[in-house]
Amino acid sequence: METRLANSFRLTVNEKKFIETALQSDLRIDGRRPFDFRNISIKFSREEGSAEVQLGQTHVMAFVTAQLTQPYKDRPNEGTLSMFTEFSPMADPSFEPGRPSEAAVELGRVIDRGLRESRAVDTESLCVLSGKSVWAVRVDLHILDNGGNLVDAANIAALAALLTFRRPECSLGGEDGQQVIVHPPEVREPLPLIIHHLPIAVTFAFFSNESTVVVDPTHYEEAVMGGRMTATLNANNDICAIQKAGGEGVLQSVIMQCLRIAGQKAYDITTKIKNAVESYNTERALRKIKRHPSAVALDISGAGVNIGKNQNKPLKGDSERSNLTSEKSVTDQSMDIEGEAKSSEQQQTNKIDGVSKNFIGGPSSWDPYSAGVNSDFLKASLASRGMTMPSRKEQGSRGENMSGEAKPVDPPEDINVSSSNIEAAETVLRTNGERTLQDAVKPKNKRKMKSSSTSER
Amino acid sequence: MEIDRLDGRKANQLRPLACSRNILNRAHGSASWTQGDTKVLVAVYGPKAGTKKNENPEKACIEVIWKPKSGQIGKSEREYEMIVKRTLQSICILNINPNTTTSVIVQVINDDGALLPCAINAACAALVDAGIPLKHLAVAICCCLADSGYIILDPTKLEEQSMKAYAYLVFPNSILSVRPEGSLKVQGEPMEHGVITSGTQGAMSVDDYLNCLERGRAATAKMSTVLRRNLQPQIASDLSKAG
Repeated sequence: METRLANSFRLTVNEKKFIETALQSDLRIDGRRPFDFRNISIKFSREEGSAEVQLGQTHVMAFVTAQLTQPYKDRPNEGTLSMFTEFSPMADPSFEPGRPSEAAVELGRVIDRGLRESRAVDTESLCVLSGKSVWAVRVDLHILDNGGNLVDAANIAALAALLTFRRPECSLGGEDGQQVIVHPPEVREPLPLIIHHLPIAVTFAFFSNESTVVVDPTHYEEAVMGGRMTATLNANNDICAIQKAGGEGVLQSVIMQCLRIAGQKAYDITTKIKNAVESYNTERALRKIKRHPSAVALDISGAGVNIGKNQNKPLKGDSERSNLTSEKSVTDQSMDIEGEAKSSEQQQTNKIDGVSKNFIGGPSSWDPYSAGVNSDFLKASLASRGMTMPSRKEQGSRGENMSGEAKPVDPPEDINVSSSNIEAAETVLRTNGERTLQDAVKPKNKRKMKSSSTSER
Repeated sequence: MEIDRLDGRKANQLRPLACSRNILNRAHGSASWTQGDTKVLVAVYGPKAGTKKNENPEKACIEVIWKPKSGQIGKSEREYEMIVKRTLQSICILNINPNTTTSVIVQVINDDGALLPCAINAACAALVDAGIPLKHLAVAICCCLADSGYIILDPTKLEEQSMKAYAYLVFPNSILSVRPEGSLKVQGEPMEHGVITSGTQGAMSVDDYLNCLERGRAATAKMSTVLRRNLQPQIASDLSKAG
């Protein structure tokens, strides 16, 4: 009992009075105006269906996974969407592990209601075999840091994760057409979920004096407030859900004003989410294009140049490894993991070395957890190694045109290939259509090429 | 016999390491540790009054909560909690704050092999960030044994699953001493040769295990330098977080 008291967040009387008095003059303690949201930053990781949202000091992560299960008896044609909220003890000293607290349950319910009742996520498209097999989508929300207003942040994280989630494609097969075959992502491109609209939650906090209302309370304001209301709207100004559970009584006019403001905020936040998801999708598409054989010619000659570099430190050795993996990732799509690991590793080495010397491939390699790489610097460094710049740009534009196509294409002729070995390696790597285990094994001639280019130096 | 690793690394090569401190605002100490694609975030809440029922009230107690990325909490999470707790207990100075509990919360962000060593490294960095008194740091590493008796370090998840056996080892970090005697010696052997924690999975011969120990020890020297560099005090950025 003692420990729980020590853990709970108690504001002193002075602090409470200070916050309330400041609000009477429309001043908030972090300098915002009453109807300003904090900065929202949405980051995605390499994996699909995971999003990390920072709303000021509040930090939330969402992970989306899907499994095939049996549908509910009363809805045989629909898939299911379930939310699991974890108020991790790392977010707040008063969060205890184990059974979810009231606040955790309420948060989960509000977000769930916003998505399910408003039919934002299309559950009928998740049905594979009516009455037998449907997709059950599960959203895990981890609250990492409680800086106030968890509902809004968690909602944005859940939406961002659902928008970027891809489920494997499956088809019906077998003798009677009743067997469900799930295609792995290497064979068939996974599909996104169908989401009709984005319900955005906007939380208001009410204070005891003279109907003071603020949007997006921090945890200090939450400790002082008299009541709160969460309105979930979408960009079309449709109200998906409203939650006002007890607390201060509020005038009707104030509620109407809040709903109007919520409409504007919902529109702003929807555009932010959509922009973040768009840029993530283009990065993803670019990453797929990088696995194109036409990009290989550039990488191999780059590999020849980079091998000569200093390889004493094990971390620098990543450059050699990453060059070879970039070639390999072209030949075998299932090695996509490695290709992506390479890009993250490159970013990590950048972080550690501070300078991106050993970079191959353009700005398509990215890692949200480290600083971005200056693409101009990259191009300059690559140009200085004797590669023709216009050909690179041409490749880039060609790459964009061919988004989604996996068929290999003849590499452009104007790339200067330094040694005949490289051409031989090119033809080996330019395999058509099927990729076999043969491609997974590092071909021996690559090693010979590497040794020959080192001997050149 | 050379083994070709999937991502092209050599047998003794580690994945790129990244460590960042002071990530969370409410937690007293926080750190994230990334090894390749495996990423773990740890938060520490400093000494709270009282210990649990079964714990010794004469000493400080460490409580570890392991949160997996998704799914229910089961027996394997309890096992991880126990291992991390015992490891941290041996590096913390437990006599300084008796009858208190320090909570260490581990959140798995991505698991691509060597999860437990990554978590222990992150927990160590988070304890330093929170200012919990420690005797010395710990560095953890994972070694995999292939069928041919070949040992590779820092496996990815695919490698872990396909190998015959693997072992994770935690070594004490060497103390950088300004005194001319150099590193601390315990009974004649330098302190770095001690093993704090060791766990294995799969069957391996005694010689293989000793080989793993040697390789692991050599590799932890590199990790120690990364850890030490990251834990250097940053000027004017460590603010008091008692609120």
